[in-house]
Amino acid sequence: MAAAGEERQMLAQRLKAAVHYTVGCLCEEVAEDKDVQFSKQSIAAISDITFRQCEIFAKDLEMFARHAKRTTVTTEDVKLLARRSNSLLKYITQKSEELASSNMEQKEKKKKKSSTAKGERTPGEQEAAVTENEDSNMA
Amino acid sequence: GRRCSSLQHKSALSACVTDQNQVKSHESWSLSPEEFEAWDRLYRIKESDGIKEPVLPRVQFETLENLEETPFALQRPEEGKVLELSLSEWSLWQNQPLPTSLVEHSDRCHLFIRAMQMMELMKHQQGDCSYEQELQPHLHMEDVNVPGHKRHLSTSNPP
Repeated sequence: MAAAGEERQMLAQRLKAAVHYTVGCLCEEVAEDKDVQFSKQSIAAISDITFRQCEIFAKDLEMFARHAKRTTVTTEDVKLLARRSNSLLKYITQKSEELASSNMEQKEKKKKKSSTAKGERTPGEQEAAVTENEDSNMA
Repeated sequence: GRRCSSLQHKSALSACVTDQNQVKSHESWSLSPEEFEAWDRLYRIKESDGIKEPVLPRVQFETLENLEETPFALQRPEEGKVLELSLSEWSLWQNQPLPTSLVEHSDRCHLFIRAMQMMELMKHQQGDCSYEQELQPHLHMEDVNVPGHKRHLSTSNPP
């Protein structure tokens, strides 16, 4: 039990470190863009808030999917996360449509030359495309 | 349909009003003349009160195109006539759970409290950051998007 808990702890630290690094990169770009500086402490705070916000997103997404009697989280669930703000909802919806159409293109290409699976990004996109289809079947 | 059901389920308020006329006027969604009178006298903010009307801050996104969020458009408050309710003025009080009545603090509320605690702890740190030092050894570069990290922000900018 103790070992399992420790391993969990290590994974959490690893994940936090990855989030912290990425938040740092994003803040760097904002800093350049706005000509301001972020203290290391402010980046740490943003990073910790981001990490914890993921817990909240994950729980909500799971509940939204279950509410629709699904076990797979889809883009529809993600849109629900943004329901309170029109601006955010519009943005997320646009991104989702862009992604869906690029997935369609990818699929078309695949059909034409079904032999070669290319690029490491494709599996993830394929998955997204599958869930998209599931969703439209549900509707 | 709406009327019938509201007749059947009299609200607690209308139930304690005995006068038949008063009961009738309670059936609509709006205030009855008596209720209006009471509201006007006791609660309504008037010019003579010398206090500003409280309004909630508007949602603004720094990195997105901002749409009109409030359907009733809060009627662009005149400068100085309103008091915008602040969610940050008492930040020093927010590093601990405040008392509750019937509704417990939610997970996201605890998240907020923890973040405020963390910031409190780091407030006096100069330069090196304990959070960073603690996590540094756990960073695996394969977890992060190293060369292309520029892409993140360029795609999150509005067109």
